Amino acid sequence: MTKQPEAFLPLSQATYYILLSLREVRHGYGIMQDVEVVSLGEVILGPGTLYGALSKLEKQKVIEKALVQDDDRRKYYQLTELGKEVLQLEFIRLKSLVENSNVFIKEMEGK
Amino acid sequence: MTVKKFKLFLAPDVEKEEQWLNEMSRQGLHLIKYQYFMYVFEEDPGKSYVYQIDFRQDAKKDYFQLYEDAGWEYMTNALSSFYYFRTNATKSTIPKLYSDKESIHDSYRRMFGFYWLIFILFLVSQVGVFITWKGYLLQYMMVVVDIVIVALYLYMFYAFNKRINFYRRR
Repeated sequence: MTKQPEAFLPLSQATYYILLSLREVRHGYGIMQDVEVVSLGEVILGPGTLYGALSKLEKQKVIEKALVQDDDRRKYYQLTELGKEVLQLEFIRLKSLVENSNVFIKEMEGK
Repeated sequence: MTVKKFKLFLAPDVEKEEQWLNEMSRQGLHLIKYQYFMYVFEEDPGKSYVYQIDFRQDAKKDYFQLYEDAGWEYMTNALSSFYYFRTNATKSTIPKLYSDKESIHDSYRRMFGFYWLIFILFLVSQVGVFITWKGYLLQYMMVVVDIVIVALYLYMFYAFNKRINFYRRR
């Protein structure tokens, strides 16, 4: 039985950016580059960390192998339906976290 | 010109092994091959590399390609489980294969599991010595060897555990 999307939350910062990068089909190095750009250089993934994360996420059926014909040396990935749900749920969770605390944090800054 | 050196590192000490390889490289000796505790270095004083060792049991074509894309050159392996990579040491930041604690923690846990399995298989393989016990000198000698091996493994598990706890999140 596959796990419910809620069971994957909260995601680590690295995992969140990896899933976000798979809004398009990408290979491993493509993911590394996208994560660095989208996170404005905040998250720079090492290949060991990425490879381990991809294997784990694939096993959990959050992502899957994408078929790309003209490159047999690299493995390409895409989000599964479960993966899309996980990413969206995490986005909603983070967003409500920020929105719910926004007023109070601003108050603290004002003092 | 190549230089050969024998040296023994236990699996939990991969970080020490990396430091040693980096130090050798700074001195102009760059690892190109590893085989049965023998390190083969190529001499070139004009270069300097950063070496990293990666534990993997599912290393396929895409694995090597990803590391190559990321700027790591595959050099050699030990037991088809420890893969040695290097990259140029000229960059201002120190490059690492693992960018967070969680994945280093995972890596030591996988190593632990690997050696645990070997250890269990070893114990099973030695059962025969005790079933057929007749008190021969050879059997006593085997028991002594077994005790040394068991002690070595227990030390390794202790060291792995220390690393695993160190890299645990929080």
